[in-house]
Amino acid sequence: MYAFFLNVLLALIWTLAVGRFTFHQLVLGFLLGFVVVTILEPLWGTNVYRRRLWRGLAFVAFFAWEILLSSLRIAYDVVTPRLRAQPRIVAYPLRARTDTEITLFANVLALTPGTLPLDVSTDRRVLYVHVMYAQDKEAVLQELERSLERRLLEVLR
Amino acid sequence: MKETLTGLVAVAGAAFMLIASVGILRMPDFYLRMQAAAKAGTLGILCIVVATGATLGSLSALLHAFLASLFFLLTTPIAAHLLGRAAYLSGIRPRVLEDELAGRYHPATHALGSDRAPDAPETRSAGAS
Amino acid sequence: MSERLVGLPVSSPLLVLAMVLLALALLPATVRVIRGPTVPDRVIALDLMASLVVGLLLLLGAVLRSLAIVDIALVLALIAFLSTVAFASLVERRTRE
Repeated sequence: MYAFFLNVLLALIWTLAVGRFTFHQLVLGFLLGFVVVTILEPLWGTNVYRRRLWRGLAFVAFFAWEILLSSLRIAYDVVTPRLRAQPRIVAYPLRARTDTEITLFANVLALTPGTLPLDVSTDRRVLYVHVMYAQDKEAVLQELERSLERRLLEVLR
Repeated sequence: MKETLTGLVAVAGAAFMLIASVGILRMPDFYLRMQAAAKAGTLGILCIVVATGATLGSLSALLHAFLASLFFLLTTPIAAHLLGRAAYLSGIRPRVLEDELAGRYHPATHALGSDRAPDAPETRSAGAS
Repeated sequence: MSERLVGLPVSSPLLVLAMVLLALALLPATVRVIRGPTVPDRVIALDLMASLVVGLLLLLGAVLRSLAIVDIALVLALIAFLSTVAFASLVERRTRE
């Protein structure tokens, strides 16, 4: 996470040094900063930035695609006369442990159409989620675990 | 060409928001209405923000657009989560196949158990149904 | 589509079409606000209406090439978020007492 902020900072410094604050210069600065950070990272003892950045980008792309897909599904359901939703409130056993992980996961769920996190249990082991298309409970739990939480945790850990 | 493209993005965003609005009218219970409104609405407003930024084109407009998208991405989940929880606590029952949240809240303290209602010190059990 | 809207140049008819769609979207949300049946139902409908107006203002800013209107839209979005949060905490506090 710090490596990413350092990279953004380097990109901003690059635009200052060039003296032109444009989108192209910002991208160029970010790429140059990326090279610098990956070379310098072993100095403070970690070597994960390249992999994490890549996974983060992959997650953002996947997430955008998922939002579009399920928005279209709900839109279709609203426009056509028959209502296909089979909602259910499931208790989802969290693998995310820290506050950051749980918050981010809940935010991702809230942005994905069709899932709405209602509350976290006081001992933080279970997240209660309202799911719109949940005829098969096990399939829903597996889908949440495999496609969203695991990918998110891979980026964070 | 570019104008047509941004115009189409704006129309798509507006269409999503229109669908969200129809959804809010048509869906049979509160939680489904919320799903329809919050999600399609967010996608719609993001499309419109992008289209506006691209139309104006100046750097400060793009910066505005970027900050606005970030703002919407951060606030929508918070508002949805708070409202969902408040509605459940105020006793609006969802129309669902199965409700695993039912009976897990401690009626007075609103503490939430992970597999059953938590034991809490004896207080008056007024309030939430 | 006419070349001028309230005496100002219209950049793209598609943007105006989007504004018409948003204005239409205000109707069903209004019906939900009137019909209820509970307070949270009205709050989400009002929240969506605020988003619709924000969208209208953004597009108006795009059509008129005015960044000031975009700023107004952002301030409105901020206020709408705050009011939704306030409503949520009000509803929840009422159940506890």
